[in-house]
Amino acid sequence: MKYYLAFLFCCFIASGADSQPSTPSPSNTTDTYSYPSLAKQTVLLTVHGALDHALIAPLFRAFIAQHPHTQIQYTELNTNALYQTFLDAPQERPDIMMSPAMDLQFKLVNDGFALRNDSPPPQSLPMDSQWRQELFGFTYEPIVMVINTDILTGSPLPTSREQLLTLIRDKDHLLDGKIGLFDIKKVGLGYLAWSYDSQQSRTYGRLLEAFGNHKAQLYTDTHTMLEALLKGDLFIAYNLVGSYAFQWSKKYPWIVTLMPTDYTSIIMRTAFINRQTAHPKTAKSFIDFLLSHHGQSLLEASGITPLDHHITGQNSRQALQKLPHGIFRPIPLGLELLIQTDSAKKQLIYDEWDEALGSSTPLSQ
Amino acid sequence: MIKTRSLRRQLLVMTFIVLLFISSLALWGAHIYANRTTKISYDRLLYGAALQMAENITLVNGKVIIDLPISAFETLSLSSSDRAFYSIMNTQYQVLTGYKDLPDIPFPQLIRESQQNQPIKPLYYESNYRGERVRFIILSKRLLEADKSKTVFVIVGQTMEARAKAAKEFNQIALQFVSVFFIITMLLLLFVIWQVLRPLQSIKQAITERSSLDLSALDIHVPSEIAPLVGSINYFMAQLDNTLQRLERFTAESAHQIRTPLAGLISQAQNALDEKDAALRKQQLENILESSQLLTQTVNQLLNRATLTHRFQSHPFSFLSLDELIKDTCRELVVWALEKHVEIAYVGDAKTNILGDEFALKQMLHNIIENAVKYSPEYGTVEVELMTQSTASNQALSNQATLQIRDQGVGVCDEDKLHIFEYFYRSADNVAAGSGIGLSIAKEVAEHHKATFHLKDNQPTGLIVEIVFLCVEESKQ
Repeated sequence: MKYYLAFLFCCFIASGADSQPSTPSPSNTTDTYSYPSLAKQTVLLTVHGALDHALIAPLFRAFIAQHPHTQIQYTELNTNALYQTFLDAPQERPDIMMSPAMDLQFKLVNDGFALRNDSPPPQSLPMDSQWRQELFGFTYEPIVMVINTDILTGSPLPTSREQLLTLIRDKDHLLDGKIGLFDIKKVGLGYLAWSYDSQQSRTYGRLLEAFGNHKAQLYTDTHTMLEALLKGDLFIAYNLVGSYAFQWSKKYPWIVTLMPTDYTSIIMRTAFINRQTAHPKTAKSFIDFLLSHHGQSLLEASGITPLDHHITGQNSRQALQKLPHGIFRPIPLGLELLIQTDSAKKQLIYDEWDEALGSSTPLSQ
Repeated sequence: MIKTRSLRRQLLVMTFIVLLFISSLALWGAHIYANRTTKISYDRLLYGAALQMAENITLVNGKVIIDLPISAFETLSLSSSDRAFYSIMNTQYQVLTGYKDLPDIPFPQLIRESQQNQPIKPLYYESNYRGERVRFIILSKRLLEADKSKTVFVIVGQTMEARAKAAKEFNQIALQFVSVFFIITMLLLLFVIWQVLRPLQSIKQAITERSSLDLSALDIHVPSEIAPLVGSINYFMAQLDNTLQRLERFTAESAHQIRTPLAGLISQAQNALDEKDAALRKQQLENILESSQLLTQTVNQLLNRATLTHRFQSHPFSFLSLDELIKDTCRELVVWALEKHVEIAYVGDAKTNILGDEFALKQMLHNIIENAVKYSPEYGTVEVELMTQSTASNQALSNQATLQIRDQGVGVCDEDKLHIFEYFYRSADNVAAGSGIGLSIAKEVAEHHKATFHLKDNQPTGLIVEIVFLCVEESKQ
């Protein structure tokens, strides 16, 4: 029965039958989607996240199938907006907060906004994927660079940051304005990945210099960047989240997604329960479901690499291991993340960034 | 029945209590130590993190540049599930970076210390912040650049979950250790107690194992503390052996004493049956009667002695008037004495009280006076005199009462005086009828009353039996 219903929902989506009341649909101008319950008396669980609603929808439906009285309202925002909304509009705080900006999530939890989930996390997940049983990592996603192979023309495909620098040097003016980056001031995830680079790599300074020299373009979302790559507006995009990029590469084989072989940063999407949630029980069971084998395999099916390394499939961690990659360096889920949120530190990185990229203006939409 | 207290159990209970006390003390100490240690070590982490932060604050062109190192946060994250807060402030208390609402910052104390111009030590303090108890450290750093200087404060705080957990773990280890220590010590002590009490067990065993007739000294090796006990047992057994031997001799002698007159009786009765002459037969029958009376007397004495022995063990002393008792006894015997043409004279009027057994004392007096009458010549006088301190000239006798029973018989030679108290002893030249037991009983009674018994010669002839009693004063009743 459950599966049947879930299947029905899938059909509705596929057919775009938005006239049906049970179909997820944008409820207003911000990207909010509703997933109705299967019973009359309902608990409304609000979720805020940065993940594409289409990718997370199967998970919501499966959860509703298990908890028929639950209705889920999902609001999709970019990482900075998620954080700001949470702080600025206390009355609009969701029950569940999900975001790949680990630092911002961590800050909120450290500041005491999270509710502890006492049920022990599944054994299949690594010990350090949760903090205080308040903040839970649930995905395992590499930070990648994406290259449109049209630029290569005989040059070898770069696999490391060093080789990327060589390529940029070789192609020189061909790449002016053709390198895409997240605007770290606007995209939390971009800042996280970039500041983590600054801690990890000696190539960081030279990369920044190269990006500046070639007037790198700044973006606020992955999709636009990937589309620009496809159109040839960009040849190189640096520090993208692997999940989307790999899917893109599958569709367009000349757009190659690479995990840098010097080291590959790994981010975890994290979730926590709002301390003031009206439905702590449902919220806790949602987190449990998210971390369960079932929840994790649904993420895998959506193309997002789940944290659980027992999951198999083409988007699993096992599959990632088989691709060329560097040392996987997961960004630790701990107090180290606080430095990412430090305003003085942020200012230093912004200053370097501004100095290098100077007049670069973000091509946000 | 009196409940016997087991030495073993007492020792066990004592050691258990002592051990329990020591263990609790150890646990309490460990608890304090654990709290102190964890506090110090986690404070050091906090201090380390604050120092690393302070290290990376510099003054460039008069501007404070803060480039916090990741290592500071890595240090903090060593307590993996504790929240951490930090703030860097200038002397105007403006937050340069970090948390803007940290509570209870002890600025007055900081200012006081900085005015004393000493190198500022880090200050620790605790406060509630964002729903949890947080331990903070604050330290100040003076930034120098050419001729300029600025001071900043670094505040780092962390919740205390890891501390509590570490202290708890430490306490648990201490608890485990103390439990093991407790059990091992208890077992060792059990063994030691068993070992120490084993000699007692061996004495018991040595005694139970031997036959009831074996009264020889115990030959076992015991610790010096128990040796006196074994000595006492051995002494007691020697005494018992002695007593038993005496009893044995007495029994044999008694049997002999009864059998001899019985044999005489039988032969006399036989003779009487065969005797044709009526006068002689009558004489023989009278002899039989006399022998029977003698035998009866002997048996009576033996029974009396048995009774007295029983009384000695069972009857407590009572308070009695010695002079009245003596007078009574004399009165009872005076008629019998007169039949033998002997006079009993009670001399003196001393009055004295003693603690004693009336029946036994009377028996004693009876035997002595009877004896005196028996050995007195016809128309002789037996003098009975009681003297107390008022009559005695010697001060040393002031608490004593002396009873003398004097006769005018042949007396007792010095050699016989040594043996006269032995049972059935009769002097070779003794012609009077008697059992040879009366004086022995008298002496036993006297000794039982802690009175001394002396034999003296009377002038010109005769025997003086002197008994010295300890008196009881009237007031001591």
